[in-house]
This record gives sequence, structure tokens and C-alpha cells, in this order.
Amino acid sequence: MAISPVYALRETGQNLWRNFMLSMATVITIGVSLWLFGGFFLFNYAVDNATQRWEGGIEFVVWMNPEATSEQNANILDAIMTSPEIQDYTFVDQDAAYEEFKDIFSDTPELIEVVTPEVMPPSYRVVPVDPDADVVAELAGQFEGRPGVKTVVSANDTIRDIQDLADEVSTVFLAGSLVLLAAATLLILTNIVSAIRNRGREIEIMKVVGATNWFIRIPFMFEGIMQALLGAVFAWGGLYVIDQRVIGRFSQPDSLELMAGFQVESDELIFTGGLVLGIAMAVSVIGSAIAVTRYLDA
Amino acid sequence: MIKLENVTKVYKGDNVALRDATLGIDKGEFVFLVGASGSGKSTFIRLLNREEVPEHGTIYVAGKDIGTLGRWKVPYLRRNIGYIFQDFKLLPNKTVAENVAFALEVIGKPRHVIKKQVPAILELVGLSEKIANFPSELSGGEQQRVSIARAFVNRPLILLADEPTGNLDPQTSVGIMRLLDRINRTGTTVVMATHDRGIVDTMRRRVIELDRGVIVRDQARGVYE
Repeated sequence: MAISPVYALRETGQNLWRNFMLSMATVITIGVSLWLFGGFFLFNYAVDNATQRWEGGIEFVVWMNPEATSEQNANILDAIMTSPEIQDYTFVDQDAAYEEFKDIFSDTPELIEVVTPEVMPPSYRVVPVDPDADVVAELAGQFEGRPGVKTVVSANDTIRDIQDLADEVSTVFLAGSLVLLAAATLLILTNIVSAIRNRGREIEIMKVVGATNWFIRIPFMFEGIMQALLGAVFAWGGLYVIDQRVIGRFSQPDSLELMAGFQVESDELIFTGGLVLGIAMAVSVIGSAIAVTRYLDA
Repeated sequence: MIKLENVTKVYKGDNVALRDATLGIDKGEFVFLVGASGSGKSTFIRLLNREEVPEHGTIYVAGKDIGTLGRWKVPYLRRNIGYIFQDFKLLPNKTVAENVAFALEVIGKPRHVIKKQVPAILELVGLSEKIANFPSELSGGEQQRVSIARAFVNRPLILLADEPTGNLDPQTSVGIMRLLDRINRTGTTVVMATHDRGIVDTMRRRVIELDRGVIVRDQARGVYE
């Protein structure tokens, strides 16, 4: 016989209220663990987006001043083309740079509105013959300070630092979140076992009068799911803060050259939110299923 | 209605609670189970409700071998069996009406059925005036009446009572027995474990006596001993 939703919600609410302190501890633990787990994903997305321009073996970028003369541009191009240490290069003119900028900052139209192609620095994306860090550093240094050059950004100086940092931060996030997720699962289990013990007499009566196992179990399982849902909402709030206040800070225009693209796209944010919700559901179902099958058997 | 064939129940440590019991109880019978503490009365009742499973033998309830029932079918068996406890087992945070309604609610009865059946059964047990009271506001006899109402509200075929007057004074016990007798007259089979000599001797119904798990007497219109 089907369980009435009103009955299930009422019992779930009562269970949560009776164990309010433990329920809150569970919700917070789930929230923090999912926040860290989601943060791991957001951070990785941001790093991937930031390092996108370094794909295809590009090891350094020579950024020209937008006001550089055609002679200065010609000198740099000549130096690149005649260097035996350079295998290939791509010239990104101001229009292409503007398109790239629009793509990177597609989520912040207000930023795109204030930027025009004329202020975008053109650049040479250079692929050296030898990708060895010392060789690349020495080669990039040959362009530093030359007339018309704004700056030279080398992958081994910036991207590898970012990637190293990202790897370390991600590892800490992931390890912390997994430990906390395990703790959250145990807390859900403990919370439900406590609720089962608090309602021992009710459960005994339910069994005697012929309530089915699922009828008895479902409110307890809902309790775990509700805790996980609240935890996921908590985590979503935390992820929004990470996206807006932490990752967003790195992608400001003043850090354009180093950190351009260090941001998370809308679809990536939505996917991470969905993943967090999915993990929350999985944790709650595992925790509550263990509790009800082990401690609520007929 | 109930049939036991060579039923043996053994607990841990070779503690035999029921040994090779064979008997039948017809529809509408009122049966007293008597015997000293530990003689196997409660085990007998718990076996009928499938709270316990025998090591040997077969138990039929309403024509069905309950030993072969799948676990998911046991609740449906129990919906045909009312159960009355010695200590009432009422839920202290629910009113009289809510305690009785609970038994219907948890087997998925619709709200309109609950609204109709609960006042009717409370009238039958004489508690119409106490419908909104909590168990703590009732006497022992009234609490047991609520327990009986809860057990009978679903109109089960069988009523099992494990020492229902064990916590009550003799005068209150008489009232409870009158109520059980009235329920029995509706055609409900009643199986009651008791130590109460006065009740058994007064009512003169079938008596099954157990001694260390063995049925030593099965007497129609019997007395306590």
C-alpha cells in the first residue's frame, strides 16, 4: 500500500526536529564536504580555462603594445621567423584578441562593453623547437624589453606555477572533501539510528499492526535525503561565493595577462551544482539505507 | 482458524520454549493459555504473529502456512491479527484518538475511513469521552481499553492478548474481560495468555495449560488448574 506523502513529510519533519542538533551537525558537515568537493571541480575548470591559450605546444607569448608601430611589429616578426630555435608561431591581431577576450569573458558582458578591439594587445604565440624550461626562458628573454613589446609571458613561469598551485589546492580540497563525505555518511547513519531508537515503541506498534517494512523505512530515508538536500543548498551558496569572490577576483582586467580566463563558465557551474546534488543524494541513500536495513529489520 | 502441527521452538542454549505442540483453534473460540512464568505462553502467542519462527512443525493461520510466507507478506498476516500488550504500549505524545488512528494510518487506510472507524471503536470500548486525552491522563484500565481499541479497530480475525490484565486491579480486570468477551461474540477468535486464576475460573472457556513448553492440558470450559 502506498505511503501518504503527508504522512511521510510529517514523520520526516518530526524526526528532524526531535534530533535538531544532530541534524544540523549533519547538514553542516554535508554542506562543507560538498562545498570542498565542488570547489575542487570549479578550481580545476578555472585552471583549464586559464591555460587554454597554452594548448598546441605554445610555450611563450610576446604581447605587443597596441600602439606599437608597424616597424616595431615587423622587427619582432622578423626575429621570430629567423630564429632557428622557433618552430612555429601564431599571430593574434587585435580583432582576434578581442574575439578571444569576448569568449573568455562571455559571462561578464559588462566587461566586454567597456573594451574595444583598439585597446587589445596583439600577440605572437610562439612554439619553440625545444620545450625545455631553461631554453624557453632564455628564448623568451630575447624578446623582453624590445621596442613595441609590452611583455613576454612564458608558460613555465606562469602556467606551471598555476598548475602546480592548482594541483596542490585541488588535492587538499579533494582529500578534505572525501574525508568529510565519509564523516557525513556516518553522521546520517548515526542520526537515523538515533531516530530509530527514539521511536522504538512506535516502530514496534507499526510492526505489530502490519505496517510494511517500506512504510516504516521511508520516513527515515527521507530524513537522510532532507539532510543531504539542505547540505547541498549550503554547498551551492559556498560555491557561488568561490565563483564570485575568489575565482572572480583573479579574472579582473588588471590581471588579464597572467590570469585571463581563470574563471568558470555558466554550464560548468551548473554541472558542478548538479554533481554536488548527485553526490549528496548518493551519500544520503547509502547512509540511510545502511541504517534502515541494519537497524530496522522486521 | 489456527492450527499447530508438531511445533517446536528452541531458543539459544537449548532452551525449549515449546515442544511438539499440536492443536487447533476454531473461528470464534476464546482460549486461555495458562502456566507458570517461562512455560511458553508468550512464545506461543509470538509464534502465531510470526514474531518468532519455529524450529520444527507447521503453523496455519486462516488456512495459510505462515512459515512459508515471504517476509514482505508478514505485515499482511498481521493486519488480520490484533495484539494486546500487558503494558499497553501506547504512544505518550498522541491522544487516545491518535493512538487508535495510528494503527490504521500506518497500514495506509484512507483518512475518511480513519475518521469513521476511530470514533466507532472508541465508543465500543467506552472511551468516547476521552478521545482527546493523552495516555498519562487515563487510568490503567482506560489505557488498556485504548490498547484493545487499537488492536481491534481494523476488525482482525484473531485477537492475541499477552496478559492484558497483568497490570490491572481485579475490578478493572473484570471490565477488560467483559470487553474481550464482547469482541469475541462478534466472531473474533481470542487467544489470551494469563496468570489470572479468577478470570479463567469465572469465564469457563477453553484452557490450554503449558508446562516447560509442553501442552499438559487442553480442556473445554476449563478452570485455571
